[in-house]
Order: sequence, then C-alpha cells, then structure tokens
Amino acid sequence: MATTKPDIAALVDQMPETDKEIAAKQKPDPDKPEPPDRKRRPDNYGGASKFTGPDPETANKIFAEILAGGKESILELIALLRDPSDADFKNYKAGYVLHGLALSVGGAGKERQRRLFAETLAAQLGSDKLSKAVKGFLIRELQVAGGQEAVGSLGRYLLDEELGEYAVQALLAIREGAAPQVRKALATAKGTHRSALVQALGVLRDSESVAVLKKALGDEGREVRLAAAWALANLGDASSADALLKSADAAEGWERVQQTKACLVLAEKLLAAGKKSEAVRIYRHLQDTRTDSSEQHVRDVALRALQSAR
Amino acid sequence: MQTHRQRITRRKFLQGSAAVVATFTIVPRHVLGGQGNTAPSESVGGALIGVGGRGPGTFNEMKELNPAKLAQCDVRWLDRADNKTTYTDFRRVLERKDIDVVAIATPPHWHALISIAAMEAGKDVLCEKPMTRFIAEGRAVAEAEKRYGRIFQVGTFGRFGASRDRNNILTRKIMKSGLLKNCPAAHIIRGGFKVKEWSGLVNAKPQPVPPSLDWNLYVGPSPMKPFHPHRIGGTHRGYWDYEGGGLADMGQHFLDPFTWTYGKDDTAPVEIEAHAPPAHHDAVGMWGWVELKYADGLTLVFDSGEWGERYDRKTSRGVSLNDLPEEDQKKIAEMPDPEPLRTFAEAVRTRKPAGGNAEAAYRTVTLMHLANIAIRMGRKIRFDPIKEVILGDEEANRLVNQPMRAPWHI
Repeated sequence: MATTKPDIAALVDQMPETDKEIAAKQKPDPDKPEPPDRKRRPDNYGGASKFTGPDPETANKIFAEILAGGKESILELIALLRDPSDADFKNYKAGYVLHGLALSVGGAGKERQRRLFAETLAAQLGSDKLSKAVKGFLIRELQVAGGQEAVGSLGRYLLDEELGEYAVQALLAIREGAAPQVRKALATAKGTHRSALVQALGVLRDSESVAVLKKALGDEGREVRLAAAWALANLGDASSADALLKSADAAEGWERVQQTKACLVLAEKLLAAGKKSEAVRIYRHLQDTRTDSSEQHVRDVALRALQSAR
Repeated sequence: MQTHRQRITRRKFLQGSAAVVATFTIVPRHVLGGQGNTAPSESVGGALIGVGGRGPGTFNEMKELNPAKLAQCDVRWLDRADNKTTYTDFRRVLERKDIDVVAIATPPHWHALISIAAMEAGKDVLCEKPMTRFIAEGRAVAEAEKRYGRIFQVGTFGRFGASRDRNNILTRKIMKSGLLKNCPAAHIIRGGFKVKEWSGLVNAKPQPVPPSLDWNLYVGPSPMKPFHPHRIGGTHRGYWDYEGGGLADMGQHFLDPFTWTYGKDDTAPVEIEAHAPPAHHDAVGMWGWVELKYADGLTLVFDSGEWGERYDRKTSRGVSLNDLPEEDQKKIAEMPDPEPLRTFAEAVRTRKPAGGNAEAAYRTVTLMHLANIAIRMGRKIRFDPIKEVILGDEEANRLVNQPMRAPWHI
C-alpha cells in the first residue's frame, strides 16, 4: 500500500507561535490602555519568549505521523534543526518536535520505534553537515531515549572539547554498555575529561577499573584524585581501603573532607557486604587520626559505627 | 524553656549541648569551647551561600542561634570576592573551621550538593526550598544528615503551623494509626503555582557572560548551556536544568503541611498522571493538573488553573473519625498527640532532628519531582516508594537520578 510521505516542515510549522509573536499580531485595544507596570524590566531577550504549547492530542498525532515516516522523516526533521546561535535559526519548533518524538518512543510497547529513532540520531553524530551545537542537542536527546545501540557513537565523542560532557552524561543515563567506552577514552584523556571519566566509572561501579582508579588516586589533578577516591568507595572495593586512608590522611581542606567521606562510604559498603573487620579497621583509623576539633563529627561517625558493629 | 522567638547566645547554645556531649560529642569542639578549645565569641559562626533575593531572609531564619555572619558566597562576585568574608566558591567557605551553621539560598540545582558538602564538613544546614532538583538528591541529603549526625532544616515552615492545628493532628493520628485501610481523602490544591510566571523562554539566543559571574560554577552539576540572563536571578526557575518551574518553586510551601498532616513523611505516591502539553526539552512550560495517588488510596491533586480543563475527577475531602468504626475511634482518642516539631535552633541545641529534617522534607519535594516527571513524560507513571524508581518506564526513570556534570556527584 502506498503511503503519503509526510511534509515534515509543514508539520513542524504547526507548533504554536510564542506569546510574543501572538501579542505582536494583536491590535491594541484603544478602550483598554496598557496599565503602567512599575516592575517591568527592559526586554533584553530579543526574540525569546514563553509559549503555551500545543494541544497534546494534535501534537501527538504530528509526532506519530513523523515516526510513521521512518528514518527518512527523522532525518528530514534533523536537517531542520538549528541552534539559537546559528545565523539561520528561525524558531524553537524543530527542536521541540524532535524532543516530542524522543518522548513518544519511550512509551510501553514502542521499543522498535525507539531503537530506530536512537540509531538515526546516533548515526547523525558523524555527519559533517551538522553544527557542534546541533550535535550536542542530538546527544542530549539520546540521553532521553537512547539505549545500547547508541553507546558506540557516543563513546567517540567522550574526548570532544565541546561535546564530551554531554556524551558522558548520555552514557551514564544509558548505563548498559557504557563502561567499556569510558575505559577506552580514559586511556588517553587529559584535564577535565579525565576527572569526568574517572567519576563516570564510579557512577557505573565498574569493577574492571579498580586498578586504573587506584592509580588515579595519585594523579596530579585534584579533581581526578577526588573522583578516583569516590569511585573506589562507591565500588566497595576492600583492597582500596589502605590507599584511600593514605590519600585522606595526606589531604587538606576541601580535599581532606572529600577523601574522608570516601573512606566512610567505603566502610559503610564493606559493613553492608558483611566485611566487618575491614570496615572496623577504617573506622578505628579515622577515630585515631581525626583529632582536630573540626573533625570531631568524623570521630563521632566512627564511634557510632563501631558501637553498632559490635 | 527557650521559645523559638528568643535568640540563643553561644553560651546558652553550649549549655544546651552539654547533655548531649555525654554520649557523643556531636557539636564541633570549637563551638563548645572546653578543655583546650576556647569558644571564640558569644555567637555561632554562620555563612550564607547564595546571596540573591532569598539569601538574607534565609540567613535570618537562623536568628534564634544569633549567628555571626562570617562569610558570604555568591558566584556573581568575581569582581569583589576577597576569600576572607566574601567568596565565589562555596568550597572555600566550608573549609573554614569557625563556621558552624550554613544557610543555603542558591538556585535549587545546588541545594543538595552544598547541603551534603556542608554536613560532610561538620556544619548544620538551613536550606532554602525546594530542597532538591531531582528525587535521588533528596535521599543523598537524608543519608548525609544521618551519617554525620548533622541538623538539616528546609526553608519552609508550613508544617510547623499545621502541626499545631487540632484538625490536622486528628488527621495525622487517623492516618498514622493504620486503622484506615482505604483512605478516601482527596487533597486538591487549586492555583497559586505561578506556572506561566516561572516558565522558561524559547528562541533565546546566547549572550555574553557578565564579567563578574562565574558561569561554570553557576551551572555546576547541570548540563553546560550557553549563558542567557533569563537563566539566572530568579527566572532560573523556568529551566529544567536548575529547578522545575512554579510547581517546584511553590510546591514545598503547599505540600509540607500536607505530608505532615497525612503522615506521608516516609513514603511517596505510587501512581502519577498529568494533563499537560508536550514538554520542551529545556524550558519549563505549562500544565493543567497532576493527580498523585498513594498506595492507601489517598489522592493529591495540583490544579494549576492556568492551562486546559479544570480537574474534575474527584472533589476535595479529608478524613474524619466517621471513616472508622466506633471501636477504632476510641483507639484514636487514646493516642497521644505527636511531639511538637523542633525549630532549627532547638534542633541544633538538642541535636535532635528539626521539624523540616531531610528525611521528611525530601518526601515532600519528591511529590513535586514526580509531578514534573509525569508532566515531562506526558503519560501516567508508576513509582516504587521503597526502591525509589519509576516502574516500567526507562525514560521517566532517567529523571529520578540524573547524571551530573563532573566534578559534581551525589
């Protein structure tokens, strides 16, 4: 059966105008002079405006029609995307509709549609026709609706100066299959990328990364060291206890507070896992070494834990 | 007995803490003075983090403690921060040993992280509402409060008034008794959510970052986006990255008395449905109503009155003794009244949880987050209040615990 190809641009254009556009078209009512508003600020927002949103039923029909057009229709929609900083940016509508599709494909029983949607977006990350800003938007939509099918494409952007953070966040939302991508990127990462990737391994509780994380405890970057300590604690790895305590003991100020927290978190994880003696060793160490008045609360935490562990 | 209207001097503060010290010395030594430690002044050391519109008022909520404002911190102060009394980076403030209590009045995407960090550093916290930006942050704050034995109070106080009202006390007793197997109540809040007022802009073009603003630190754990003046200074409420519109902004006021009265400080709704247009990816937008149902049948409804049709599935109804058989009514009558809620100052002094402690406050803020997730998804969601996950909807569940931009994490 032949199907009519949807006119994507026309469908997108059906999204409502903004409040400012609607107001601009209204003729002033001479019988109702605009009341003075003392609180009104000068409008520094250019064409920016609030909007009311379309009728959900109408919008959902439009989303369904575009999705029914398959990959070709999604690509056509992506081609309409512009970032507000682009010279040829017209309005919010194409991005709004793409987000609408991302939400539509997330419902129950729509896995086939979701996968097609995510694969199409992921493939477009390699396009040389899209700006970095538009690719960033696609990555953020993959954070909404992407799955394992997108992790390879996202992994390629982990070290991108502009898109790396978005890629990490999308992978952390997807989780499944993310760890190998993060590990691979970490091998050559530097600076802020490095701390973001180390932290990501902690969020993912990647047990294959214990050795790498222990090494990162001695990194020259403070954020890398802190991320590594938290990641190891989050993993609940008993073999990390001495390294964490050593790092925490040597640290000062904010870093000492955070490194000490890592020790406490590790001890809690160990207790929960039934590794009582390892946990008790951490608590006793903290009790013995946190002698400054400003660390009294840490001693108290240790004391409470030791009493309840008896 | 001190009333909550009276100011607490450091000496009285110390006297109040003395009994507690016998078991655990939870109050910092530099606050207590004692052997080898000299209390530096008659007042508790305080800091204010986030000095915008609500900042001074939030700090003033701690006035019973008579705190000396030793440090103020705001990311808009790159041009004036001296790192002695004025700061842009809260971490520098929390490193100070002479600060005991911290008031937090930043935009909400920072509330949980700074609260947790402050408690890790041994400080007590009074944090402006809404308590968090997403559900998992609330659990993390409650865990920090418990782990470090610190005091946390959210900056809404409606539950204090509710807890002194005889009708509310009776409702709480009925609900907490467990005698009411199916709760027939429907609590409907109509209007007051400032939906349009606190919605965000679309078509906003990036603008240069003001020289005095540390934009990187302002954005913090949220996704980095180009600067626009509407994203700061109160109108930040209109962006999912920083808050959740008028619902998140006003909800904790409306709902804190509700959670106390209906005894829902330890659970959450199981089914949430919203009537709203499809959500924008960045700007918070319009919604009509949200219906949240608890496992026991209690229904909570927000009806904005600003979009779509009026909510008419149920009518407002509370619970009363008439909902119970006579023998159960007698049991309710024999129940003792709940303990009065402690103010922040009383909690700091006695080292017992404040009325708006993290465990209770985060259950309140969870209501707004669940409502916003249902608005953003455009479909009914089901929530597991114990595991704190959304069931059978991966997209929706990704909003429960959102990835943070490094180096920030919960």
